[in-house]
Amino acid sequence: MTIRLTINGEPRAYDGDPRDSLLDALRGTYRLTGAKDVCREGFCGACTVNIDGEAVPSCLRPMGLLEGASITTIEGISAPESFTPVQAAFVEHDVVQCGMCFPGMVMSMSEFLKRNPTPSRAEVKTAMAGNMCRCTGYEQIIDAVMSIQPVEGAN
Amino acid sequence: MTSQSGEFCFVDNIDDAVVMLADKSRGLVPIAGATWLIRAPLRKEEVSQKYLSLTGIEALKGITLGKDTVAIGALTTHQDLADTLEGEQQFQGLVSAGGKSANPGVRRLATVGGNICATDFAAADIVTALLAQDADLDIISREGRGSVSLADYLKTRAARPDGELVIKAVLPRTQSVSAHARLTMRAAGDYPIAIVSLYAALDPKGKLGEVRIAVGSVEATAKRWTTLEQALTGQEPAPDQAETIAKEHLGEFTGRDAVDANGKYRVQVLPHLVRLAFVDLREQCERSSI
Repeated sequence: MTIRLTINGEPRAYDGDPRDSLLDALRGTYRLTGAKDVCREGFCGACTVNIDGEAVPSCLRPMGLLEGASITTIEGISAPESFTPVQAAFVEHDVVQCGMCFPGMVMSMSEFLKRNPTPSRAEVKTAMAGNMCRCTGYEQIIDAVMSIQPVEGAN
Repeated sequence: MTSQSGEFCFVDNIDDAVVMLADKSRGLVPIAGATWLIRAPLRKEEVSQKYLSLTGIEALKGITLGKDTVAIGALTTHQDLADTLEGEQQFQGLVSAGGKSANPGVRRLATVGGNICATDFAAADIVTALLAQDADLDIISREGRGSVSLADYLKTRAARPDGELVIKAVLPRTQSVSAHARLTMRAAGDYPIAIVSLYAALDPKGKLGEVRIAVGSVEATAKRWTTLEQALTGQEPAPDQAETIAKEHLGEFTGRDAVDANGKYRVQVLPHLVRLAFVDLREQCERSSI
């Protein structure tokens, strides 16, 4: 079966096994390796992408259920050579260490800030429950998210 | 060795879905949120080859807030459940169950129906909270459409008729409050090792007129804590007292051993979770001056 979907604004057709996860399709077929292959069970958040407006783990989404879906990955969240406010804040606060969690963090926090542009620190922590970082201890990431002013939003 | 590619079929109504699923020769497995099914390889289980997507069936979608009942479609996600019932006094336990299960990303995918029908998933927050609400399930099979209590459904879950579908959960509307307490090994993002979901209707004197306590993740399937319910009926909804009484009724459970916790510990923490649920209940009552 051919599955037709949009990835980062581009129409795509997928002819592989419909049981393949979106994560495997992104990385293996479309060479969009920003979403990282880590736990493969939806707990670490490193594979988070935006599907039809919602930040979800791509490892848990079979391609067979994505006919007509609109996918945005970390590669497509901003124009080339520019940053979203979340990305800019991460750079300014020197948040990124190994880089494995960072794309998923950006995707999750971008979506979160759309829904809650003026969060408390506790709300940011709750929103980050699905994004694990083994390097930083999280506090600088939270500092970065808190520094984003509501007038800019997440995107 | 080359494995055959999978196949996805699609359907837009429950009658056709039942017929297709009941036809064993087709070997179709129903799929919607997919958060349990797609992880089959991690559980060392065989990945099914053929799926029937339920995502296009309108009859399985949405939450209807009626005067006497609330109906929750099987395709409702955990997040939608929490968002829709937020502010409904009776259903704060369900709001908590839906809003704290797994993590934000999984909540946007996982469905109420999947939580009910995943026979091997013991740590089901939604199921436990629905059990405390005395939910019935609107089901359909080749024999026709009917209703079964969630409690009875859970006892027979592994042996339901071929092709049966859960359409929605139906909850009676009452003057009551509810709470949901869960213990994870970390602050968030884990499966809970024990769950207590509480429903309480207070009598005119403020005592527990009707109380239901459902326990999840301690055993393989969620169930009601009937001996504790009987012991607490007529009592003050006091957290300390509830915890003390709960300690006297732990014999109702045989905890399951698993990689996240052993069975003895799961049972051991139950009185503490009962206490937390009653603390939440008390705070809700104080906020709404019940």
